[in-house]
Amino acid sequence: MTISLAVPDILVARAKSGDLEALEALYRAFETPVYNLALRVLRRPEDAEDVLQDTFLEVVRSIKQYRGEGHLWGWIRQIATSKALMRIRQDRVRETEELHEESAVGAGNVGGAGEMRGTEGMSPGAVPAQIDLERAFERLSETSRAVVWLHDVEGYTHEEIAEQMGKTVSFSKSQLARAHVRLRRMLDEGVAR
Amino acid sequence: MMHCTMDDVLALAAGEGSAWARQHVAGCPACRAELEALYQRVAQLKALPVRRPARDRWPAVRNAVVAERRRRRERWGVSGLAAAAVLAGLLVFRPFWTKPVDAAELARVKEQSATLEQQLQRYDPNGRVTSGRSAALAAALEDRIAVIDGELAQLGPAQAQARPADLVTLWQQRVELMEQLVSVHVTRAAYVGL
Repeated sequence: MTISLAVPDILVARAKSGDLEALEALYRAFETPVYNLALRVLRRPEDAEDVLQDTFLEVVRSIKQYRGEGHLWGWIRQIATSKALMRIRQDRVRETEELHEESAVGAGNVGGAGEMRGTEGMSPGAVPAQIDLERAFERLSETSRAVVWLHDVEGYTHEEIAEQMGKTVSFSKSQLARAHVRLRRMLDEGVAR
Repeated sequence: MMHCTMDDVLALAAGEGSAWARQHVAGCPACRAELEALYQRVAQLKALPVRRPARDRWPAVRNAVVAERRRRRERWGVSGLAAAAVLAGLLVFRPFWTKPVDAAELARVKEQSATLEQQLQRYDPNGRVTSGRSAALAAALEDRIAVIDGELAQLGPAQAQARPADLVTLWQQRVELMEQLVSVHVTRAAYVGL
């Protein structure tokens, strides 16, 4: 992501005092990265827009608590991540998505982590075009997408992901491994095409 | 021949691979290719196009913020009026009260209410992250407190003298709601480690 996320201190100070123009300037500065993160995790634009709105409502309410330690984007991103993960937890209907995904990758998937060890002549194949990876990524479950995006793109550690999700570190690690096995398999088999 | 698992490959990519995995990948073209494919996937994920929202959500955020501020001002306005009215009543009619037990109880619940207000101010709920459910619960409690403040304001000094028990009851109800409000905010804060 090549968006500049630097914000002048004076703008943050004005936002902390409740200045609506300054708060709008913060919104304009961070609406795209917040929306992008939420969309990559949740996939549906309307859900991502709701997370965007909820995130900035929280930012406006809590900006006084921001002490200037670390980048402002890190603080806002944490709120956005929390809102996106909360939406995953709340939306029970999407549990069916995981079942769909399991069937999409084939019955041979026995859980990711041990499936490669012991196989002869493993051939990962060349990584296909970017558009295929994007489609394959979208076919992962929301939880898997969240873990992959937070770890591989946003740079979260497994400890941070586990804390945000209310899960264990090993859950985060196994989700990431399973997700990459699925991504590789979908790309190799052309499921995403 | 045993190959690396995806866990092994991910650990290698993170620089945390086991001694066996490091040794194996050095001599296994398939696992080296797997590691390289992982690097490429991650690089491509990072390079995915940035998506932008189709609709501007700032007006909705702004409207919600303005409405919250208006509501807060109104609540504190009513509270201020109520407090002023009750204080005036106490100053004017206190010497004529004939039920010392009610006066003592009134003083006790008022002090309790003031303590809870201070506790809430110290906690600064308006400046904190809260869940939608906690916010809705807090808003409902705040509305009920505002109603009681309105009743206290309407009671007036004359009626307060005639019906001191009613005054005490209202203040007791206020204290009860304040305790719940503090509990909602402080419990939530403790839960998320704020």
